[in-house]
Amino acid sequence: MAIPRIAFIFAITAFLAGLGVATFSELRIFLPALLRGAVVTVQVSVLSIALFLLTAFVAGIARAFGTAPVRWSAAIFVEVFRGTSLLVILFWFFFVLPEFGVVMPPMVAAVLGIGLNFGAYGAEVVRGAVQSVPRGQTEASIALNMTQFKRMTRIIIPQAVVITIPGLSNLTIELIKATALVSAVTLTDITFASVQQNQLHYRTLEIFAITVLLYYCLAQFIRFGGGWLEDHFSRHLKPRSA
Amino acid sequence: MSEPKIRFDKVLKAYGPLKVLEDLDFHVDASEVVTIIGPSGSGKTTVLRVLMTLEPIQGGVMYVDGEPLNMMMSDGQLVPASKAHVRRIRDKIGMVFQSFNLFPHMTALENCIEAPIHSKGMAKSKAIDESMDLLAMVGLADKRDHYPSQLSGGQQQRVAIARALAMRPEILLFDEPTSALDPEMVGEVLSVIRRLAESGDYTILLVTHQMGFARDVSDRVCFFDGGRMVEQGKPEALFGHPRNERLKQFLSKVLEAV
Ligand SMILES: Nc1ncnc2c1ncn2[C@@H]1O[C@H](COP(=O)(O)OP(=O)(O)OP(=O)(O)O)[C@@H](O)[C@H]1O
Ligand SMILES: [Mg+2]
Repeated sequence: MAIPRIAFIFAITAFLAGLGVATFSELRIFLPALLRGAVVTVQVSVLSIALFLLTAFVAGIARAFGTAPVRWSAAIFVEVFRGTSLLVILFWFFFVLPEFGVVMPPMVAAVLGIGLNFGAYGAEVVRGAVQSVPRGQTEASIALNMTQFKRMTRIIIPQAVVITIPGLSNLTIELIKATALVSAVTLTDITFASVQQNQLHYRTLEIFAITVLLYYCLAQFIRFGGGWLEDHFSRHLKPRSA
Repeated sequence: MSEPKIRFDKVLKAYGPLKVLEDLDFHVDASEVVTIIGPSGSGKTTVLRVLMTLEPIQGGVMYVDGEPLNMMMSDGQLVPASKAHVRRIRDKIGMVFQSFNLFPHMTALENCIEAPIHSKGMAKSKAIDESMDLLAMVGLADKRDHYPSQLSGGQQQRVAIARALAMRPEILLFDEPTSALDPEMVGEVLSVIRRLAESGDYTILLVTHQMGFARDVSDRVCFFDGGRMVEQGKPEALFGHPRNERLKQFLSKVLEAV
């Protein structure tokens, strides 16, 4: 835990220092644009992560526990959204669907595309976790005459959630990096804002230093949060210390 | 003649072409303590697992208190049982596993009250009262807030027994309850089972390799071989004067090993 924490603090400090230096120099001319981009990146990330987690759990649990038609639907969803490139999915949502009368704002298209694409990957993580809960847990639940619903919600899923944390936090970090593609649907995120500002002002080093630090901070934040959640949920698996 | 507590009528259990139980006729009377012995792979565990409905059977009928378990009556005909029917009958049966199978994310007490609350719909305070009595009975009242990972094997198995009892079963199934334990912990678990056997409150079906214990607590011992019950009788008779050749071989092997 110590190294990510130090790296996190270091990165935040560096980011703020960078902002400070920029504010006191002529660089402040491009800062507002970068900040607006950062806000878009964070917005897309937060909303997509919510959809990603929801999709991962719904589709993963459907694949593990569903009746045959439910399992197949979930499997088809996973195959479609995993087998296609995110960029192409974004184009579909933003440019192709309007041809069928489905028009959505760029933010919605971005969040749907990213959330569903990563949700399909996450579904496999969730399914794997659910299936890795030992068979004896199911058998004990049956012997205690629990319904399948109670067995799922009270015994299997709580144990599976802990197992999903490392996999899902890795995917979350990948998701944040993938938000750089949203300029394809006309959103100006921090990456696109950097490119624009660089073309205007030619302050390549400063601009991209700020950009890279933003991504790094977000990733550290997830890594840190994931580690904390994992520790928190697996306390009971450690022998009692006192 | 009164109905036996448990009755197997020509039960067939097969994994693909492998017949693990073949035309098994078998019964256990109310409050009877029956031990199943036999070589590895003879189908002992399978008898308990099919009765607990952990495995479907491919033929025959299992009865509890005269009511079919895997089937049900509909218009005077036996038809495959509905989930609700199975749940109603299964409520009378509890099982203790070789590998405990406690819920690792719950404390000892939470393990015990989980099913009474969420399966039987018992009030939480009542479930806690009853489960604390049971934990005290198995000598673990002070471990109520410990997680399974914080308990020894013997303690985990005693929690598992308390958890099964919390559902107020009439029938208790034990599948080699001490096989996964370090030798010094076997005694504490056997003494709990002995008390349950002697109380007369439960009909008990036990699979064990502890021949001395089987002889002590059983009303009847059944010897299984190759998916069939080849000999059964009072423990003194079965251990003292075995008739079947395979049983003689089996006994000389296990008694030698002790
Ligand atoms: N899931 C399964 N798939 C295929 N065969 C199985 C399965 N479970 C058990 N068997 C087979 O069924 C037979 C009986 O198994 P069972 O577990 O009832 O034996 P047992 O008498 O309890 O043996 P042990 O003393 O080793 O526990 C064995 O031949 C075993 O290989
Ligand atoms: Mg066995």
